[in-house]
Amino acid sequence: MTDVESAKKHGEESLKTRIASIQKPFSYEETAYHLPISYALTGVAVHDRAAAEDVFKKTAGNPIVASECLLAEQTAVKGKEPAPYTGFISDTVIRKLGYSLVDGSILGLALIVGTPKGEGSAAAICRELQEKYMLTFLAGTVVPSLSAAGVKVGLDYRLIPLGSSPFYGIHFVDIVARVAMMFGGVTPGDMHRLLTYAAERAKAIVIVFPGLTDEEIALVDGMRVLGFPILSLGGYENATWVPATPGDVVRQGMELRGIRVNVTAIPIPMSCSPAFEGKSIRKEEMYVEFGGGRSTAFELLRMREPSGIEDGKVTVIGTEIDSMKEGSANPLGIIIEVAGKTMKKDYEPVLERRIHNFVNYGEGSWHVAQRDLIWVRISKEAVAKGVKIEHIGKLLASKFRMDFPQLLDAVSVTLITDPAKVAEAKKEAERVYDERDARIKGMRDSDVNTYYSCTLCQTFAPNHVCVITPERLALCGAISWLDGKIAYEMSPSGANQPIEKGAVINELTGEFEGVNRFVKKASHGEIERCSLYSVMEYPMTCCGCFEAIALMLPEVNGIMVVNREYKGMTPSGMTFSTLAGTIGGGAQTPGFAGISKNYILSDRFLQGEGGIERLVWMPAALKEELKERLEKKLEERGLTGFLDKVADETTAETIEALIEFLERGGHPALTMKPLV
Amino acid sequence: MPFEMNFGWTTPIGEVVLGATKADGGTRRISYRIGGGTTLPFLESSPSSPAPLIAFEICDNPDFWSPIVKDYCGDVVNNANEWAKKADADYGADLVRLHLTSTKQRNFSDIASLGSVVEGVLSATSLPVIIEGSNEPKIDSEVYQKCGEAGQGERLLLGTAEAGKYRSIAAAALAYNHSIIAQSPIDINLAKQLNILLKEIGVQRDHIVIDPYTGALGYGFEYSYSAMERIRFSALKGDTDLAMPMICSSADTLTIKEVREAGDGLQDETAIQWELFTCLAAATAGAEILCVRHPGTIVPLRKALAGMKQPAQSAGVP
Repeated sequence: MTDVESAKKHGEESLKTRIASIQKPFSYEETAYHLPISYALTGVAVHDRAAAEDVFKKTAGNPIVASECLLAEQTAVKGKEPAPYTGFISDTVIRKLGYSLVDGSILGLALIVGTPKGEGSAAAICRELQEKYMLTFLAGTVVPSLSAAGVKVGLDYRLIPLGSSPFYGIHFVDIVARVAMMFGGVTPGDMHRLLTYAAERAKAIVIVFPGLTDEEIALVDGMRVLGFPILSLGGYENATWVPATPGDVVRQGMELRGIRVNVTAIPIPMSCSPAFEGKSIRKEEMYVEFGGGRSTAFELLRMREPSGIEDGKVTVIGTEIDSMKEGSANPLGIIIEVAGKTMKKDYEPVLERRIHNFVNYGEGSWHVAQRDLIWVRISKEAVAKGVKIEHIGKLLASKFRMDFPQLLDAVSVTLITDPAKVAEAKKEAERVYDERDARIKGMRDSDVNTYYSCTLCQTFAPNHVCVITPERLALCGAISWLDGKIAYEMSPSGANQPIEKGAVINELTGEFEGVNRFVKKASHGEIERCSLYSVMEYPMTCCGCFEAIALMLPEVNGIMVVNREYKGMTPSGMTFSTLAGTIGGGAQTPGFAGISKNYILSDRFLQGEGGIERLVWMPAALKEELKERLEKKLEERGLTGFLDKVADETTAETIEALIEFLERGGHPALTMKPLV
Repeated sequence: MPFEMNFGWTTPIGEVVLGATKADGGTRRISYRIGGGTTLPFLESSPSSPAPLIAFEICDNPDFWSPIVKDYCGDVVNNANEWAKKADADYGADLVRLHLTSTKQRNFSDIASLGSVVEGVLSATSLPVIIEGSNEPKIDSEVYQKCGEAGQGERLLLGTAEAGKYRSIAAAALAYNHSIIAQSPIDINLAKQLNILLKEIGVQRDHIVIDPYTGALGYGFEYSYSAMERIRFSALKGDTDLAMPMICSSADTLTIKEVREAGDGLQDETAIQWELFTCLAAATAGAEILCVRHPGTIVPLRKALAGMKQPAQSAGVP
């Protein structure tokens, strides 16, 4: 065991003495950056002892600077090392490397130094680094050790042998320094920006095998200033180096620097694209099906600790598709486990809903509904091509990683086809569903300080701004508050932005200072005020996607709702499409509001106008659709029987008929505070 | 009586330099500084920004080009170098925009050849050059690397970055100091988002030109116009993420029915008129670079722009 602290001290001392003994002038060829690290840190072009000592002093005796100067002198005296060693790398090559880094074809940089024990261990680490799109630099006996294990090195293999001793590892740092100056806009001499760039942008890790000298330890430890994690594979005693094992060091290092591998191709024998999302698999085309009332089936996505998940792992418990009878219905449990630094339990249901899209992306797989109501089919054509249950798992695992790279670090999928085990796992799933329902149901607008905006529709409704709250879905019905939140976290400059609601202006109509401020800005100055729960005063703007329209009927002192599917005439004298044409396009139209159908069930619905008691008319089909849930709500609010007082096209098609119907039923709106 | 046109604008449009002359380490005979406008186009009493530049579009594989243009230009379309020379000397363009259409061939893999195509065009003309790389994600990385390298020092304008593919172009711009075209599908928010993404990756604001996507006149141009107008309003009001010059191409006009099916002898004139008026409308919406494919469009377009740049009285407006 080498004690890093004392070795470092000795090393720094020795570097200091050696720097004073530099004799010959030195310089590298094919670079405009002199000694790049010294130049980047201080702006001084070092070519002789005097300058070297000056820079060394300016950087408070930095061991990296000392090593850079000493190696440059050594190279000047002894010449470059023979191939395969590269020594100092020219600017032209760095430009290409930097290009690959920005471009994303290289995800990060790794340096490996020291003496590996046994031939295999370094080889395995390098292979893993190659597979994970890392560009790896090697310095010291690790190079011959790789050659002995039959590993090819060179730029083409993304394994670059810098030199025969760990001291050459200094070139790793001079590359980062040059990338910072070429690509990061770091001006030479701006030490602070260089360090920030290295720490925030340079995705670099250092892997250390045993056997470094004191000077080399001082050099490697010096790299910590740049934010590079030093991962030690044993032999060193120290608190700041990260202990690691050969099997885990790459994953650990990449995780520490936040380097993520993006999945780009899905290894399954059928095409997979959103283009197939709309297709259906009819009974005649189907090889096998799951759920849909014909067998037990469910899906569940859960968050786990990262240590508990092996990324990309797909397990099938029970029979595979080849031993299922053609045309049969079989049990299926889809269990997806995910982990990620920014993943939260709240996101589970939002992500779970994506299973539907992803399964449908498969050319020969089809999915409808959710939770324990799912219905999945796999086509004959797909099975003929070799698609198995396992491939559905692979598709899901890959798509989740591809579509949520910021959120998820690991995804594993378990597919159960064994009847007894499906039944057992379903019980657990039901417990989770109940828990989730309770959580979301309990969520109130007053529980959170942040709402989310949606400006997706500004493409065609230039000044439209949707404000999404826990109790008010986007007016298209497609984006909930949680969806907005997750979308923002995944794409911070996207169409869903957080809105600090700020001080209350009007509790009843739901007007908030912060919301007004946001809406004004996001509507390009067009809309000054926005009340979230009112149709009459400063209602939210409408794009054109609203599921339904709520509008005031002055004759009956009430508000009617009409949904998009209803084609007939309404008591307002206008059809849905005429109304939609009047209020869309991003305008704010008092007396009219675009809403989602589910918003009718919210406690906030028509709050500004006195609540759901204002509702006088809605199409029969919409009533039917909401009936069960709406009646439960009404009962809670002591309004049992109210739904019968609300007219529909079967009881009132004209305003005259409506007045008569409401009077006959004694509708509360008639006696409420006048709307206008 | 002069009308006081004060809209309360606060921020000028950013400037982008196209092309590098010998003094700046390149070999162009001229370089342009576009942008810098302080109000809407053609409203300045003493113009602070120059008239829009006219770029002539050529390609390295005419299989993917409009037959009208091919017929009009003749054999020269088979030689990108000669075509570029002609665009410069005969057609009178301000810029040459080279589309590497050869990358559209199925399984194209001869990346090295693109380097010589770019170098060839750069030596055939000494005007600043716009290079349009590939549209194939698989080869993007290599194509843009090659283009960037081949044009090192010339301060090219590289196209086209989109929300789904911008990293390779950004990398080429950063590595070899070129500017880039950032295209969004007729949407101010997506335009802004892309500019932010580019900024995050390290591309400076003065290296970005916005392409709002230009529909053909009569075929959705009004959407482009509206998006451009709002981009410019936001920019002048102080949104620096949108305060960049804009580029518009009238290429879509050559594929519309009226132009394709214009009767014998009328095709060229129809194409020219359609390109001309699409470009004029784009200039009115604020475009700093107008791209055309029909050589005959350049002269009338330049004449029209010159007329619009003059003070209203002398332009014959009652």
